[in-house]
Amino acid sequence: MELIGHGGKPLVERVITDKAEAKKKIAGLKEVPASRQMATEVIGIALGFFSPLQGFMKKADVDAVVQKMELADGTLWSIPIVYDISDKEIADYGIKAGQSVLLTRNGNPMAIFEIEEIFTYPKEEMAFKVYGTKEDKHPGVARTYAYKDKFLGGKITLVQPPKIREPYTSYFLTPRQHREKFKSLNWQRIVAHQTRNVPHSGHEWLMKHAYIAAHGELPVESMEVMGKAISGVLVNCIVGEKRAGDYIDEAIVLSQDALKKYGYFREDIHMTTMTFWDMRYAGPKEAVHHSIIRTNLGLTHHMFGRDHAGVGTYYDSYEAHRLLMGIPKEKLRITPIFVLEWAYCPHCGEVTCIGLCGHWKELQKFSGTKIRSILMDEVKPTRLIFRPEVFDIVMDAAKKYGYGSPFVTPEYLSKAAPAFSFEPL
Amino acid sequence: MAETFPINIWINEERFKALQEAGLAGLLKEELAGMKVMIVPCTEPQRDKILKLFPMAKYDAATTKSIELLPKYVKDKLYEMAVKRKTLNVMDEFAAGFEKGGDAFWNQDIA
Repeated sequence: MELIGHGGKPLVERVITDKAEAKKKIAGLKEVPASRQMATEVIGIALGFFSPLQGFMKKADVDAVVQKMELADGTLWSIPIVYDISDKEIADYGIKAGQSVLLTRNGNPMAIFEIEEIFTYPKEEMAFKVYGTKEDKHPGVARTYAYKDKFLGGKITLVQPPKIREPYTSYFLTPRQHREKFKSLNWQRIVAHQTRNVPHSGHEWLMKHAYIAAHGELPVESMEVMGKAISGVLVNCIVGEKRAGDYIDEAIVLSQDALKKYGYFREDIHMTTMTFWDMRYAGPKEAVHHSIIRTNLGLTHHMFGRDHAGVGTYYDSYEAHRLLMGIPKEKLRITPIFVLEWAYCPHCGEVTCIGLCGHWKELQKFSGTKIRSILMDEVKPTRLIFRPEVFDIVMDAAKKYGYGSPFVTPEYLSKAAPAFSFEPL
Repeated sequence: MAETFPINIWINEERFKALQEAGLAGLLKEELAGMKVMIVPCTEPQRDKILKLFPMAKYDAATTKSIELLPKYVKDKLYEMAVKRKTLNVMDEFAAGFEKGGDAFWNQDIA
């Protein structure tokens, strides 16, 4: 059955699952090794996370994205998805427009790349228009400046599905699989919680707030019975490029799932999955990109909090909200749920929304830095702030996957196995 | 009053008892639903020295206004020193001890 994704266009699924067919199609193709960054994008394109993109962008699309925040055909799009390559690589591999090559990862076949165009694009302009700054301290700008001098545009087809390692195996679903799961759960409305954090109870309440808002006017009567929910929360963890000091991905995915496992959310309304994507920290533009991905997963709503996907002081706290509010509904195709922070109020003795509580001066805000400091000191926080089972899961993940730390260390960066790989055909 | 650049050391129950015995429990601050934190003050030069000695640490000027990302073993030593000296003003002795002893400092008893 054809599924509809972002832009009202068919969900892209470009993957060969039959080994014999794949072997036949790649026979005689030049092999070009792909970086981890490019392999991540290949998966996003071919499995439909980036629908309607069928491949890496050609110049017309890049230019439209940079100048107008849309693809050349007018579909909303905020971040260029490009394949960068050097002149030397083009010469060494004899790459020409009109040819197909086999992209490999660690020597194994990954995808057929039908190269339609080789082009250049001014990197400084791309960075400034997408990220709003030319400063290379901004990670997205730094990534843009690090692109090699040429770009290849054209269609991508995976020649085999990626192999996902533990503990991620059961958390990685394609957009089609997400939709099948939502159907089996009978969810009519699903709200996305975008995350790259382990959850404290401030996050938990943001999800509850967004869930209630998304459920809206739908009936609640059937929900008195476990298993009869008609709406849900999808925690979609971003798994990708890490920087020292980030939470390790294993701790993020497992601790988010722990909220359901230990009953803080009913099992019929909460689900944790992951998407491969290297955060660009593009703030408002990244919020649009996250909307596109979650539309493709089949979600109806998306939660956006304060400083969504921002970094440093490059974006105003609610800039993402304002950008999303200005996009026509027929272009965005997912309903944003805007949420304020939740904080602990000692007067109320509970975690509360800062937009509701009148004890403004007494509120104790959940600072990410503070929570990290508590976790680094290995002190179990109070249950109102951080669920004890979630803390235990984070610490277990630190031992099992993080070389003793729940945070990315130089050791983790050099030794941790990649989340996905490709096998010999 | 001169600005300070604190290091936050979060305190569990076991450590809270030790701090009570050292007469320091009254100096703890309560945050986030009753969690206890020992705030070790640093002057600006002490802050700069700590950031130089432990390059993984950062001064969070934007939100907490404190020195963050110090490894647990560093904070453990600061805690141990504060309890032993019965004061939170231990930064000079701490920095001097590490500069003199290097990594051996972490295994040395506080005299």
